[in-house]
Amino acid sequence: MMIPLRYNIRSLMVRKATTAAATLGIALVVFVLASALMLSEGVKETLSSAGREDIAIVLRKGSDAEMGSTIEDPQIGLIKSMSGVKRESDQPLGTGEVVIVIALEKLGAEGVTNVLVRGVTETSHKLRPDVKIVEGRLPSPGSDEVMIGRAIRGRIKGVELNQSFDLKKNRPVKVVGVFEDNGSSYESEVWADLDNVRASFGRQGAVSSVRVVLDSPASFDAFQAGVESDKRLGLMAKRETKYFEEQSQGTSIFLTFLGGLIAFFFSIGAMIGATITMYASIANRQREIGTLRALGFSRFSILICFLFEAVLLSLIGGLLGLVPAIFMGSIELSMVNFASWSELVFRFRPTPEVLGIAVGSAVVMGILGGFLPAVRAARTSPLAAMRA
Amino acid sequence: MTFTSLAARNILRNKLRTALTICGVAVAVITFLLLRTVLSAWTSAADFAAKDRVVTRHKITFVMQLPKRYIDQVRQMPGIKTATWANWFGGKDPKHENEFFASIAVDPGTYFEVYDEMEIPQDELDAFKADKRGVIVGDAIAKKLGWQIGQELTLESGIYAAPEGGEWKFTIRGIYTTKARSVDRSSVLFHWEYLNDGLPEARRDEIGWIVSRVGDAKQTADMGVKLDKVFDDQDVQTLSQDEASFNKSFLAGFSMVLKALNLVSLVILVIMALVMGNTIAMGVRERTSEYGTMRAIGFMPKHIVFFVLGEAMVLGLLGGLAGVGLGYPFVEKVLGRWIEENLGAFFPFFRVPPEWAVVALLLSMVEGLVAAGIPAWQASRIKVTDALRRVV
Amino acid sequence: MSEQAESIIRLRSVTKEFERGGERLRVLENLDLDVGRGAFEALMGPSGSGKSTLLNLMAGLDRPSGGSIEIDRKRIDQMSEGELAAWRANNVGFVFQSYNLLPVLTAVENVELPLLLTPVASSERRKRAETALRVVGLQDRMQHYPRQLSGGQEQRVSIARAIVTDPILIVADEPTGDLDRKSADEILTLLETLNRTMGKTIVMVTHDPAAAERASMTRHLDKGRLKGEEAPNREPAWEAKT
Repeated sequence: MMIPLRYNIRSLMVRKATTAAATLGIALVVFVLASALMLSEGVKETLSSAGREDIAIVLRKGSDAEMGSTIEDPQIGLIKSMSGVKRESDQPLGTGEVVIVIALEKLGAEGVTNVLVRGVTETSHKLRPDVKIVEGRLPSPGSDEVMIGRAIRGRIKGVELNQSFDLKKNRPVKVVGVFEDNGSSYESEVWADLDNVRASFGRQGAVSSVRVVLDSPASFDAFQAGVESDKRLGLMAKRETKYFEEQSQGTSIFLTFLGGLIAFFFSIGAMIGATITMYASIANRQREIGTLRALGFSRFSILICFLFEAVLLSLIGGLLGLVPAIFMGSIELSMVNFASWSELVFRFRPTPEVLGIAVGSAVVMGILGGFLPAVRAARTSPLAAMRA
Repeated sequence: MTFTSLAARNILRNKLRTALTICGVAVAVITFLLLRTVLSAWTSAADFAAKDRVVTRHKITFVMQLPKRYIDQVRQMPGIKTATWANWFGGKDPKHENEFFASIAVDPGTYFEVYDEMEIPQDELDAFKADKRGVIVGDAIAKKLGWQIGQELTLESGIYAAPEGGEWKFTIRGIYTTKARSVDRSSVLFHWEYLNDGLPEARRDEIGWIVSRVGDAKQTADMGVKLDKVFDDQDVQTLSQDEASFNKSFLAGFSMVLKALNLVSLVILVIMALVMGNTIAMGVRERTSEYGTMRAIGFMPKHIVFFVLGEAMVLGLLGGLAGVGLGYPFVEKVLGRWIEENLGAFFPFFRVPPEWAVVALLLSMVEGLVAAGIPAWQASRIKVTDALRRVV
Repeated sequence: MSEQAESIIRLRSVTKEFERGGERLRVLENLDLDVGRGAFEALMGPSGSGKSTLLNLMAGLDRPSGGSIEIDRKRIDQMSEGELAAWRANNVGFVFQSYNLLPVLTAVENVELPLLLTPVASSERRKRAETALRVVGLQDRMQHYPRQLSGGQEQRVSIARAIVTDPILIVADEPTGDLDRKSADEILTLLETLNRTMGKTIVMVTHDPAAAERASMTRHLDKGRLKGEEAPNREPAWEAKT
């Protein structure tokens, strides 16, 4: 026979102050944990939505990211001619791009930040059909016009529609358009003309990476074999989705680890809080518990009853912590992405998994924190009912 | 018996609850110390930077390089004592794919003059200078990867393709160590000449950055401005910063993380206050009739406040002592050493700042007072006649 | 009795009202009372008659809504909370039904407690507390904690605590309420002795007629008024002695 749930709810209500203190502690843990996981998910989502299954990216062997990679111009044609590359009106669909990270002054904060500038060609747009101008217009090819991602707009000096900033001294570029791409990491970039970027930085004759569209996602293996078989080229090919996944790894693991570690320490504190509350609640109810035992409730049902009360306590705290965490979903943050060492703008992303983990951890805290007090309650003698 | 001993006496009343509370406070203090340590370790490269060094780099992007001739122009500047240059190599040991360490091509003749806080035995330095393929490695990375002097080393670079038909091959000639907190003990340093000679014609004679020492440390900032002016009209513009600012610029991207950690270290204080406040409030509620008795005997509300606050302060102090007592040696002897040896490239100096240990101790006491504020106020407002009636 | 020159407690037209649930409750009604110096009086009455309220007023734990209270020629009805507390510390000893000892303190420390409020030096405090415990016959229980004592012993510690500051007045609220007959008798004997040999004025609230019989005089309170004073059980101790 189990003790009805109402009993626990009431007893939590009676001890308002201590219940509030304990739930608030658990709420803080859940909030911190959920926020960290949501950040990590946000980074993953932002970067992974930039990648496509049927695009391959070619980099210099040993390069972790486009930024550090160099591919000489003559190799571009060679890469595009490999088997598995899709053709459009008999031309292989692919392009070389240059990626440079430049330091620009922040707006509304001290210091500089690193912005990723991508030198693109007309083909670049064909590879990313989701990129759309939301304000202004596309830059004209071969000019010193650029377009900027929606996410970095207004954060940096000069990076705003109809303003300009320097790629090099006396070599300003003019912002003529703002684009978006379903919240992907491209929205944290500046897109300029490939030749203009190369000229500004003295990188004529080479690109950072080459992207090609594949006949189908399945053609990747053949393409990769083609690129990597010639050791003299010193190149490697990656599926674009995988490349972006790797780009997010460092930062998202870092955020998960840091957030998890802090949440772990927090949770010890919160569990102790729950234990103190439960012990006090049980100490004040010795007589009640004794009476329940005298009425015939088993030790086991008392144990379950108080474990349940502890879980209830932590669950309330957990839900309480989730509310502000979910509201964090509307906040945009910027942080350096380890892979490109440039600023990446992303959001807290509340996925069902994250919310589940957060609530689950609250329940675990309740069970762990409530276990010892519940055991003590279960060991109460029926004689306690008789004592004053 | 005195007022103080009377206040402290209640600590032992509910031993289990007191023990739990002290544990809670101790955990909070340890977390707080860890966070402060991470924060100070994070900025230690900037905080402990040399004041007389200026770093000159490409104005727009750290990806791009400077012409080698810039070093001569820097050296000609009046006020510059000595200058050296270096290139980021971005090397990895293929045998330890996941091991991150800084690998830098340096000028063997001048690099250690500019970074004179790096300590290398003279014979090892001589051997390094004499061997174009020689490298000097930090003692932390050498210990971690088991590198020995005389050992061959092959590195792969994500930035520089290996020389035509070969590999970047080195021999370890020396191991440096340092007491400076801003110097990474897991770098790999080799001859810039060796790198330059292995590059295709188009990429030769480019240098990553220039580090100069200024004769008068007060002139460091001015010197930066002067240097940038010299190069302003040339083909590549520069940005010169004192070493602290230069190191700090790499942290700028983490400002969000640093802010979050700062915030979290405050939230930890809230949790600490909740745990203590909960305990104190429970104690006060259970002792209502005792406080009533004391009031009847003639104790005043201020005395009751004193007892409650005194108890809370002792509780906080005990928790703080436990936290600092466990946390400090743990970081100092175990965690800090491990991090310095294994994550030295990120945290060359990972130790609890002693001033923060003191702050943590004081905070736990102050937190006790703050947490006990409301319960103490409530206890002092108990109406004697009501409190006594409850007993009967 | 009312003309007695040496009345240590003098209440005139004392009224006490409480606010309960928005309703005014008059607990004491225009009450006059004189207690002679060195008296041992019992206060009886059904629950709700206001006897505890009256005791609280005499002990300076509460203030009247109207009227005046004079204890040992001092008006206490106008005193502030702080003044009252200081006054209580010097002039009143308390004995409670459930002893109200602090469980974290030993017997001797419990007795010492009120002396913390006086300028007495700490070694002297301990000496006086030990003397008080000897008076109540607990010289061999000084280092015991309350939970190690019987109810009767606890009450004796509480009496020692009440006399340690040498107050002029001892108030006892149902001092035998929690005790068995035998312990109750011992406690009453002790109070009697204090009254006779040390001349302490004692006012005791009780509902036990056997306890009231031990006092020199019993008053009955009903619905906030004193019912016609009862003849003294015997001569007041103080007067008998002089």
